[in-house]
This record gives sequence, C-alpha cells and structure tokens, in this order.
Amino acid sequence: MTQIAAVGPQPDAWQMRYEHPSRWTLMVRYLRRNKSLVLGLAIVIGLTLFTVIGSLTIDTEKRAYPLAVKPKQPPSAEYPLGTDFFGRDMLAVMVRGIWQTAVIGLIAGAIGTGVGVILGFLSAYYGGAVDTVIRAITEVLLPIPAFLILVIIAGSIDRKSVTIYTMAIIVSLLAWMGPTRIMRAQVLTLKERMFINVARLSGMSNLEIVFKEILPNMLPFILASFVSGVFAGIFASFGLSVLGLGPLREPLIGNTIWFAQQQAAFFNGWWWWPLWPSLALVLIFVSLTLINVGLDELANPRVRRTE
Amino acid sequence: MRLGYLVRRILFLVAVVWVAATIVFFIPRLSARNPIRERFAEIARSTGFAPKDLDQIIAAYEVKFGLDKPLLQQYVEYMGGVLRGDLGPSLTRFPKTVLELIFSALPWTIVLLMLTTLISFALGNLLGALASWPRSPKFVKGLMAPLMMLQAVPAYLLGLLLIFFIAFRLKLLPMGGAYSQGVTPSLTLEFILDAARHQILPAISLILASLGFWALGMRGMGITIQGEDYVNFAEHKGLHPRTIFTQYYVRNALLPQVTGLALAFGSVIVSGVLVEQLYGLPGLGGLLGDAILKNDYFIIYGITLFVILSIAILMFLVDLIYPLLDPRIRYESR
Amino acid sequence: MTKNKITRRQLLRLSALAGTGAVIAACAPAAPAAPAAPAAEAPQAPAAEATQAPAPEVQVPEVPRNRTVIMGWGASDFDNIGVTSPFAAGHNHQNFNSSLWDPLYYWAAFSDTVYPWLAASDPEYNADYTEVTIKLRDGIEWSDGTPITAKDVAFTVNTWRDNDKLDYHSRVAPYVKEAIAVDDKTAKIVFKQPSPRFVFDVLTAHFDTGRPIVPAHVLEKEADVTAFPGGLDMPHSGPYKLVSWTNNQKIFDLREDWWAIKTGFQPVPEVKRVIMQRIGDDMGVVAQRVVNNELDTALDFRNDIIANILKQNPKVTTHTGDKEPHGYLDWWPNSLWMNHEIEPFSDVRVRRAINRAVNRDQIDEVVYGGAKVSTIYPFPLYPPLQKFADSPGVQAIVEKYQPRKFDLEESAKLMEEAGYKKNADGLWEKDGKTVPTQISGFAGIHADIVPVLSEMLRQAGFDTGEGPDFSPEAYNNMANGRPGLYMFGHGASLRDPFAVFELFNTKPTGNTAGSNNFSRYNNPEFEKLVLEMAKYPAGDPKFDELALQAMEFYYKDVIDVPIIQWLHRIAYNQTYWVNWPTETNVGEGYNGAFWHWTGPRVIAALKPAG
Repeated sequence: MTQIAAVGPQPDAWQMRYEHPSRWTLMVRYLRRNKSLVLGLAIVIGLTLFTVIGSLTIDTEKRAYPLAVKPKQPPSAEYPLGTDFFGRDMLAVMVRGIWQTAVIGLIAGAIGTGVGVILGFLSAYYGGAVDTVIRAITEVLLPIPAFLILVIIAGSIDRKSVTIYTMAIIVSLLAWMGPTRIMRAQVLTLKERMFINVARLSGMSNLEIVFKEILPNMLPFILASFVSGVFAGIFASFGLSVLGLGPLREPLIGNTIWFAQQQAAFFNGWWWWPLWPSLALVLIFVSLTLINVGLDELANPRVRRTE
Repeated sequence: MRLGYLVRRILFLVAVVWVAATIVFFIPRLSARNPIRERFAEIARSTGFAPKDLDQIIAAYEVKFGLDKPLLQQYVEYMGGVLRGDLGPSLTRFPKTVLELIFSALPWTIVLLMLTTLISFALGNLLGALASWPRSPKFVKGLMAPLMMLQAVPAYLLGLLLIFFIAFRLKLLPMGGAYSQGVTPSLTLEFILDAARHQILPAISLILASLGFWALGMRGMGITIQGEDYVNFAEHKGLHPRTIFTQYYVRNALLPQVTGLALAFGSVIVSGVLVEQLYGLPGLGGLLGDAILKNDYFIIYGITLFVILSIAILMFLVDLIYPLLDPRIRYESR
Repeated sequence: MTKNKITRRQLLRLSALAGTGAVIAACAPAAPAAPAAPAAEAPQAPAAEATQAPAPEVQVPEVPRNRTVIMGWGASDFDNIGVTSPFAAGHNHQNFNSSLWDPLYYWAAFSDTVYPWLAASDPEYNADYTEVTIKLRDGIEWSDGTPITAKDVAFTVNTWRDNDKLDYHSRVAPYVKEAIAVDDKTAKIVFKQPSPRFVFDVLTAHFDTGRPIVPAHVLEKEADVTAFPGGLDMPHSGPYKLVSWTNNQKIFDLREDWWAIKTGFQPVPEVKRVIMQRIGDDMGVVAQRVVNNELDTALDFRNDIIANILKQNPKVTTHTGDKEPHGYLDWWPNSLWMNHEIEPFSDVRVRRAINRAVNRDQIDEVVYGGAKVSTIYPFPLYPPLQKFADSPGVQAIVEKYQPRKFDLEESAKLMEEAGYKKNADGLWEKDGKTVPTQISGFAGIHADIVPVLSEMLRQAGFDTGEGPDFSPEAYNNMANGRPGLYMFGHGASLRDPFAVFELFNTKPTGNTAGSNNFSRYNNPEFEKLVLEMAKYPAGDPKFDELALQAMEFYYKDVIDVPIIQWLHRIAYNQTYWVNWPTETNVGEGYNGAFWHWTGPRVIAALKPAG
C-alpha cells in the first residue's frame, strides 16, 4: 500500500508528512476503511481456524469416511453437524472437505497465476516475437470455455488416477490465460507511465526496472489474480465433482453434495447433509469475492476515492 | 488499413475455431474409452443382450463411423465434414446425427440460456450503473452486497436450493422437466405458458448467479468514469441528470461490458451443463453433459465447435462495432 | 447469432420491464419448428426422418387423466427417437417399446406360469429336445392388417441365426439348424443339439430377456435390418401405438384394433394412454412427483426414499405394501467380480480374503435399514431356486465353506499365507504392490452400497484407491478384465440354477467383452459339468446332482463374491389406478417392472380408481 503511493508518479505531501507511523499502523488504518477486504479475510481466517482446530481435535482420518459413526443422525450434542447416510460424521467431513477443497483451489491458483505472471511479463516487457507468440496463444485459447475442456479431460482420463492433486492440476491447465492477459496489460500500462521512463533514463537495467519498479506496483494485481485463480479452481473442481468426476472417497465439498443428491437427502429429510457443504462453499466463494473487491480498491485508487 | 485489419481479424477468428476444434478433437481420443462399446454395454446391461455379440456390432459400427481409420485421417475427414456443415453421427444416439440433436436442443437453450444471459446483462448493468451513480437512492447501493454474495454461488447450488424451497416445500413451481407431462409441444399459448412456467426456476438460478458479475463490473466502470473530465464538464454545463446518466455515464461504462457479453454467452453453456441436467431440461447443456459422461465425442465436438464458433463470431462482431460505439478507440494502423 | 446483436440495445429496456414471460413467448415459436429443420442432414436414416420430422405436429387427441398412466423413466432412453424395430441396433424395450411387440409366450415370475400369447399352446418338444413345434393362435395380425404367420416366426429365428450383428445371434446360432414354417399356423425349429430351454430363453418374454416376433413382410425388404430404425409407423403387433416421441416424453395410445381385442382373447384394457415421462437424475425430485400424484409409477427407488414416499402419500403402495423391504426380488443378484486371470486375483486365497472382509450384516443394517437384502447366492431366491438353496445338499456345502462369515482375522491370515504384509498405510502389500480393489459400479443404482463396501475392504487392508468409480466405462473395464472389483449382477437363473453356471462357464476371452464370464473362471472340470447339465431339464435327479457339484465349485473357488439380492422397490400410486401387482394381489403373477418385456401385462391389469 505504502509502496504504491511511494513509487507513484507524484508522491504528495500527505505521504511525506506521515512517514512515521509504522507499516502495521498504516495497514490497520487502511483495513478499517476497506471493509470488504476485512470481512473477506475474516471469513477465510474463520474457515482456516475451523479446519485447523478441527483437524487437531477430531480424528478426521477415520470419522470423515464411511462406517465410522451411526448413520443418518440429525445434528445433536454428540454429532454437532449430524451424520450422513454412510456413517460419516459431518463435522469431520466438513473439516477435511474444506481443507481438501481449499488445497485444490490453492494449487490451481498458484499454478495459474505463476504461469500468468511469467508469461505476462515476458510478453509485455520484451514485446516483439515473444509477445506475438504468447499473445496469439493466449488470445486463441481464451475464448474457449475452459470448464468445457476440463470436463472433457476429466471424463477422458483413467478414473483410477483421479486424486485431489490430479484434479488440481487438471483445473490449472487452462487457468493461466486470464492472468497472462491481465499481467501483460498492466505491465504495458506501467511501461508507458512516466516514472518508468524516469527510471529508464536514470540508467536502471531492464531487470532492475522489472523488480524494483514494475513488480511492486503489480502486487495487488498479482494477488487479485491469485485470489481469482483460487476461486476459479474451487469453482471448476466443484463443477467436476458434482458431475461425479471427482475422487469419490474423499469428502470434498462437491463430492459430498453429489452423494447427498444421489441419496435424495432433501427428500429423505436429511437436510443437514447437503446443507453444510453448500454453506461452506458459499462462505468460501463469498470470502474470496470480498477479498478480490477489497484488492480491487487497493489497486485502483479511483475506486477508493469514491468510497 | 481497415481492410487489412478486417482480414487479420477473420484470420484470427479462423485460428481460434481451428485450434479449439483441434484440441477438442484429440482430448477424448487420447483416452482408452470406447463410447460405442459403452453404449452397447449399457444396452447389454439393461436388456439381457448376449455380450458375445457385442464385438461384431461394435466392429460394424466402427467401420460405419470411420473409427477404424488412423486418427489423423479421421481428423482430416472430420474437419472436411465440418466445412461442409456435416458434424457426423452421434455415437451413442445413433441414428440421430449431431446436427439433428443440436437443432432439437437449441430452442430450449436459446430460450433459457440466451435470455437469462441477456436479462442478467441488462438488469445487472442497470443496477451496477445506478449503484455507482451518486444520485441514486440508498437501497440500490445496498443491493450490491447481496448481489455480490449471490454471484459467488454456483448456479447449480442455487438451483438445488430453489428446487428444495420453492418447488419441494412451497410447491409453487414445477420441480423439473421442460413442460408438463402429457402435453405435446405446439404453438398454442397454453403450451408456451406451460413451458415458460417450467423455465422459471432454472432461469432464476442462472440470473441470480450472474447478475452480480455484471452489476459489479458496471459499478466499477461507473466509478472510474465519475472522475472523468467529460462527466464533470457535463455536470457543470448543467445538463439534466438523466441525460448525463444515460448519454455520458451508461453509454461509456457499458462499452467494456459488451465485450464481456460475447464471452458470457460461451460460459453460460457451462452453467447450462449443470443446471439443465439438474432440472432435466432437453437443452444443449444437458446434451453436452450427457455426451461428456458417455464420451460421445461427435456430440462433444459438435457442441463445443458450435459454442466456440458462436463466441468467436460474437467477439469478432463486437470488435468491429466497438470503434463505432467508442470514438476513442481506433484500429491499430500497423 | 447475429439476432442477439440486433436486439441487444432494445433488450435493456425490454428486460428492465422484467417482461420475462413476454420474451419467452416471443422466442418460443422456434421450439417446435426446429426438429423438422435438420431432416436433410440424416444420410443414413431415411425412415427416421420421415417419422421424426412430423412427430411434434401430430395432433394428439385428448385422453382424460384417469384413463392415462404416467410413468417416470430415465433420461437416456428418450434419445434414440424413432428406433422401434426390435432388430434395430440400439433398440431398447425398456422405454415401453415393449408394448409395440407381442411375443410368442409370456412368463410370470410370481406364479411361475408360461402364458401362450401369439402361440396357441405350449411348445411341443420332441423326445430328445432336438426339435420344437409351435402352433400359432387364430386371428393374430400386425397393425397394418397383415396376418402374423409361422413365416414371421421362421424369419425372426433364422435372421437371428444368420445376422451376427443382432443381439440374440449368439443365443441362437449355436443351437438352431433351421426354423421352418410348416404352414401358416405351425412353426418348427430344428436344433443342432438338445435345447430344452430354447423356447423359454429366447421366445418367451420374461424380465429383460426373451424377444418378440418381428414382421417379415417389413424387414425382408431391408438390406440391413440393424440399420432400419422402424419409426413410429412400423407395423407392429402390440396393444399400444406410439403417437408422439420427443426427447422429453413418449405417448402411447391404445389400439382399439389390436388383434387380441378383435378376437376377444383379451378384454379391452382400461388404460387408454401411457405416458413415459423423462425424469432428471435427482431421485428425490422423482419421489416428490410420485408423492404429488404427478407420476403413477417410476423406476425403482432406493430403500429410504420408498419408505418416505409411503409416509408422505398414503395412496402409494409397493409390492409388499408398507412393509419392508418395499419391493420384490429382481433376477439380478449382485456380486463383486474380479478377473481371475490376473495377479493378485488369480490367487484363490486373496479372493477368499476379500469375501471374509465383507460384513453382510452391517450392509443390511446400514444400507437397507435392517432388511435382509445381502446374499450368498448368485441367483434370485424365487420359489424353485429357494428350494434348491434350502436343499440339504446346498446347505451342507454352505456349512462347509461358510460364505457369509465375516472374519477379519481369517482374512488377514489368508493374505499372509498369500505372501502379503501390511504396509505403512495399513494396506496389504506384496513386492511393493497393493491389492487393486477400487470398486466400480453404476451411479444411479450403486451409489448407496458401493461406498460402504469400499470402506469395508479398506478397513480390512485392501487398497480401494480413490474410492468408488461410477464412471460409465466401468462395464467396459470389467469386460476388458482390468484390475479392480466390479459390482454387477447375474441376469441369469430364474427357474433352475443352470443359467448362472453357464454364465461362469464360458471360456476366457482375452481382452474383449466376448463373454459375460467377467471372472474369467476357467476350470475344465466345471466346464464338463455344465455341458453335461445342459442336456437335462430342471427337476431331473441327474440335473440336481450336477448342480450341487457346480455349487461347490462356486464357493470353493470363490468365482465371485456375492453381496446382495437385487430388489425392485417400485412405487405404485393408487390415486388414479388400482390393481397393481403386489404380494397380496398376485393376479397373473407378473412382476411390477413396467420396463420389462412383461410391462404391458402389468399395465393391462390396471383398473381406474373409484
């Protein structure tokens, strides 16, 4: 945050006068204004605490799988979230399922953004043939609905090799074009900004300019892109698993909903079975969206100004 | 210069479709699955077919569909067929051809997916523009938060919950199907109303799930535009607020959204795969989802080609019209 | 696509008015018109075009709800629109196309009765079962008025024999030398070897097997009968005709000129119209539609769902009324199958260890709410087979091998004997390889039992991989003999255990689905036994003796791991229709599955309520 202002074209007087407060204080001050970011982070932290504390206190290795507890029990003191048709403790299912779902999202987001950042930089900064090739590939692939291809891939590969990790990798296969395009566009904009020209004139090398001038300015975009990547990864893996294409033993959120659907949970009155995973999914998606809106405010001063 | 640009865009369009078609052609073929065998195996399972006879039938069908030829030759022949407008037979719904299947599913998809996308686009942009417009009433701004939350929820999940609460519990609307049982499709008002009733829940799930996307995007654009000099200028000139809103504000903010619309038509098919299946609708999405599960690659090819071609053409058109709408943008002269 | 471009601007205003209904109405005219458009694109199916294109425009007459039966059926069977000919590739009788075709005989499972239908009387075999003569009923005719004659019978049987693309080719070709039309009313089939079961297996409609007679005068003209779909107008023999077939529903109307009505052989059915309604994958929704009286019946439900349907709508009943197990035994008991030809399943100790790891009592308790559904037999316990299972001979064998015993210690001991040790994950391992026991099944029907089985085996140390596999290629993988366990049934024995032994007997077939012997059980002794058994009809003391020996092989060699009997839990809604076939209302004795070849008999028995 401070970095953005500091390297901005015209560091104003406001910045100079308040150099003293620590970064921490500034951050807290900023967060107080950026409610979306705070709320989003709070939900993520809450979910993280839920899984961490849950994993430490419950034997999820056993209770998140069939035949562990008495089946079809509504929420009670013994089973706070109830149990499912197969005798899984829904609390353990949620603890493990949220974690596994998050892992898929994080892997997919990291791969997608990583590749996107690298390609975007190469493309925008060096231009020429590199740019033409990368841009051509990205532009051509981008209009192809990724999920379509994902389902085709997931439907084609050997079912016996589908794990949460292969699923994450499948999902990330087509998750890099968006970030590449955004990164390229941002680098291009920055490249033409005055301060980069100033830096270039003052004799900084290309690499220095990338790391000292451009990259710090890109951070909010990279972060936002990562968050979108995680979102897209979870979204896609959910889509695959509600089609029954996921690793079925694992209590992934999508798998759990798929099984609840298969056993007509709502009709049979086992409302808690599909409800918790749906709720968890909504929380995950909402928190990621909030964080992204927050990051947008961070990255786009104009948005901030009017809030 | 303009002609050169046009040619380049058309070449790009062809490239997109060709690359996509190629990817989609080879992926399902890399797997060891044999959809014809799976189809007859399914029939064998349910009808007491003697499995000994499967091999002859499968071999006969592979010859018939040209699947016994080398993959590369199949690829060339398939692409040739595509150019002639022949998308091949369906492997699992033979004797239906892919084109027939697409055409019989298309009306449902147009009604549901296209309309919901357009409604959502219009409504979302309107709400988004209003939300960023300083003079709008407070409650419009208050709508943004719930819209954003809804946008984060997959349409499939919304559909699931809507079925449960609206159809299951309250029994207000049908739980699924394209029209009531016993009714035959006809051009009567009665049928159209009946079909429309069945489309309400799927439509709501799709609209709710995408409304926020447009609203948020539009709001972002609107806020950006607020600071622009021309808006300030218009205000100082004393133009009527409504004129500023529609002519200066919405018009400019809407431009980038239009590009998104072309892409949205493509991605809504994806939601359609799940939502149409959930509601048991006979549209393109359901057809595709089913084909993917059964690895009926001719249907997969046909529909993805169709979708990608539509997106590419839409993007192409948007590209061409864009400069007309936005005088600031000119074609690159290179 | 360009249409959207043009309307885009106006749409903002349009939809701002939230005129959803108006817009849908404006666009809907495209819907019914479209199916006609692609007709030119169907090079290989001229007949299909002709019948499909006008279908939506057919003006279907009104039939009141209380003369209409509405049945919910799975989606995929609505898609082969226009395929009505039983000889067409991809023909499926389960979507009630069975009602277009009359067989020579019907067999009713619960009364164990064969009803001559197109045939006038029981088949007359000669003494050594090398010939059979079938007399046809008077007055039988196709829907176009052409009489059904022995020539049709001979054509049907001989075409099966000669055309290796037909589904019954391999059931007919090895046995039939020639089918002959002696005169219009008399058909004779000459066999290559004694075939005491031929008429029952091939020409008697029961469950999903047995086939009807097809019209020679229509199919003779076709160069390739498997490529001729039939269409809605194909001359047929059954009580109903198809008046509309879309990918959403099929409508069948009663034919007042059906031969059985004209000749007075059968009373006029009360059901004037049958609607097969496409349903989605969500069985909860289907159940709710039964509760709402939208559907009179639907394909079978899982255990909990049927119980909840009964609770919510007292008008709905089942085969056993409101008592467990809410259904009847289907002929399809399920086992876990594995390929004996590959490691480690080639080791009988591993197969036995897997069987010992299955807790059948727990299956009954968890999956079936306490109903006794699990089994140790590869055949359904219909009266004659129950008698066989209860016989002292079989009981002695069961006592000896204890197939139902759940014993993890013994399972572990067997695995250790086979050279396995538990690895760090607690899974059996030999030479760095675990036992590949991922279980494949069908999502729609196995999503309750397979996850439970999978977990049982995992707890016993078997590597069940990433859990159940419900992908559609499961059957393929099983047929191709790929590693893993496969949940699948035996559609075989009905009146005596012969068919299931024959199923196990077929020679191993390498890498194709050339046989239903998914175990690839290969035992010359067993094969000899089965070939010998084929010569004797059920009830012959010699047959019983041989069957007993075969049964011992089944348990000794653990050919497969029997898990459950298959139940049809079908909901019968009595709001509009009564006299459904139940335990207390056996009637002619047909089972209630409307999707079986005997489905039309179930519908024929219905009476309007009130």
